[in-house]
Amino acid sequence: MSDDSRRIPVWRASVPRLSAFAVEHLLLLPLGAAIALVWVNLAPESYYHFTYAIAFAVNDVAMMFFFALVTKEVVEATAPGGVLHPWRRALMPVMASIGATLIPALIYSRAVDALDEPVLSIAWPVSFATDIAVSYFIARIIFQLHPMVPFLLLLAIASDVLGFLMLALFNPAADLHLVQGALIMAGAIGIAFSLRRARVKSFWTYLLAAGGLSWWAFYRSGLHPALALVPIVPFLPHAARDPGFFVDASPADKDALSQFEMWWRYPAQAALLFFGLVNAGVPFRALEAGAWGLPIAVIVGRPLGILMAVGVAVAAGLHLPQRVSWRDLVVVGFTAAIGFSIGLFFCSALLPPGQLRSETSMGVLLTLVGAPLALVAARLLHVGRFARH
Amino acid sequence: MLSPERRLSLVLALVLVAASVAALPAQKALLPNRSGSLKFLALGDNGTGDRPQYELAQQMTKARDSFPFDLVIMLGDNMYGSQTPADYVRKFEQPYAPLLAAGVRFHASIGNHDRPEQVSYKHFNMNGQRYYSYVRNNVRFLALDSTLMDQKQVAWIETTLRGAGEEWKICYFHHPLYSNAARHGSSVDLRVLLEPLFLKYRVNVVFSGHDHVYERLVPQKGIHYFVSGSGGQLRRGNMRRSEQTAFAFDQDLSFMLVEVDGAEMFFQVISRTGQTVDSGTIRRQEQAQ
Repeated sequence: MSDDSRRIPVWRASVPRLSAFAVEHLLLLPLGAAIALVWVNLAPESYYHFTYAIAFAVNDVAMMFFFALVTKEVVEATAPGGVLHPWRRALMPVMASIGATLIPALIYSRAVDALDEPVLSIAWPVSFATDIAVSYFIARIIFQLHPMVPFLLLLAIASDVLGFLMLALFNPAADLHLVQGALIMAGAIGIAFSLRRARVKSFWTYLLAAGGLSWWAFYRSGLHPALALVPIVPFLPHAARDPGFFVDASPADKDALSQFEMWWRYPAQAALLFFGLVNAGVPFRALEAGAWGLPIAVIVGRPLGILMAVGVAVAAGLHLPQRVSWRDLVVVGFTAAIGFSIGLFFCSALLPPGQLRSETSMGVLLTLVGAPLALVAARLLHVGRFARH
Repeated sequence: MLSPERRLSLVLALVLVAASVAALPAQKALLPNRSGSLKFLALGDNGTGDRPQYELAQQMTKARDSFPFDLVIMLGDNMYGSQTPADYVRKFEQPYAPLLAAGVRFHASIGNHDRPEQVSYKHFNMNGQRYYSYVRNNVRFLALDSTLMDQKQVAWIETTLRGAGEEWKICYFHHPLYSNAARHGSSVDLRVLLEPLFLKYRVNVVFSGHDHVYERLVPQKGIHYFVSGSGGQLRRGNMRRSEQTAFAFDQDLSFMLVEVDGAEMFFQVISRTGQTVDSGTIRRQEQAQ
């Protein structure tokens, strides 16, 4: 009882900051997903007519701004004070991400086979996905300001980068024209570089000139054009120090990257709402046992993979960050199992409409169980806010 | 080349099946069985390797005695569970040994339980393709992969249908665009993609499986749809008949015999016990456009 009374104030103290974060970053995608689930199961024909009509505009264009804002967080994190500065800090989480992705992918391939839906195995890159915002939110609840939070962020970013790489390399539906795309991309990056050299401060110039050409480069190459701003954002002038992960820019920040964020913050959230609406519509009757393949793979595989990879890294001479224990890594594993936004994106990029996409998307939604599991594991293992003092 | 053991097991299966087929009651043929007509059989969700699949296969063999079809269209889920070389024998080659020996050609489509390697299995005649097309008599068949209906396939369907000059266009694939079974029902996501093409290029008939029942639908926008997904699996009592349902049978395994002659298509549905559970005629000119 006395333990509880000690914990409550800490919990309450963290709520205002996190609730503001939740409103800013976490509400609209689940809202879109919830609308999609209700709509597709009540009036599927009108749902598909509507979502097929807007899918390209949402998935291939509007989502570009969401990924640009994620890139902005990563770019800022490389500045002094950021979690990626100096780069050596990222070594252990990047090592962990290799285990955190490969082991779930292996389990996934075996699981869908065992569940008698072997055609689902082509969706294995989806098992790489970690939702950065949701997992950050859960990690903040559990760990508060513990070093596991930046560890998780780096792990999530590295896992998603690996996932995007797998998506590009092993997408059976992709018709790749990489040389053509690379030539156009060289032009886009050349423009962005020149704008930076010329000290152009308006983000619009970067966005319209370099961003537009980059979108065309991705589109022509057969890679997903929603990533078009990822190589352009690093060229936007930004603050000398990292303001912190998911810390919103203020009107006082005059650098191009902060201005970009202020302008696109809410349109990107609207894009996420529509993204959830377009991609999370799963007719329940389409589901078979294979839908369990993904949650099983990431819930079992993510903590296991992290432990294995970190074990190898420690054996190779790397050190765990201070105050980080093996029990923390298990909890982070469950937290990083949540695929949600990135998982749905991988589904839409990898799988055409039909049963496979429905089952895999449902699997992605089921990975949200990683959140309560992380809380339960933290409590059982006495980790983070549940630590014994 | 088959190994001696495999050859022996095939011969034994052939003898056993032939013996048991001889003991089956004769089926009443409701099809005109005209010379020169196209005769084929439609079968879905069959490859369990269990006794009911073998019993239905015996009825198929028996049916061929009076109705000499030389084509079987497979509607996906050609094999369940493990799919090792031994499974290909137990779940396909043995039950259908008499048909294979008689030169009947199987043309498969892929279902959600099928391994991708099936496209290269010689008896499925897919030539390594997930989706493909062929012509028999005056009929253009399109075997589609409804598990992975990507843009490339949709474009291929449009090109193939646009160029098809045959009198009949028949598409078959695993997931039904219309179905009133409780377990899965209609694949509306695919319907919104494919139906406009089927209407535009005047597809006449569509066969699917996936739901483990037999259902004949009232023509939808002029197209005749059949669900025949009880070739080895059965979901007894799973039908929820609606105004779309013309006829349904969910009490036993079944397959369809089909005959196309000129502007007419005749069909007969036979159960595992040899009963005719449905039959009828489709006239091509009935199609509303």
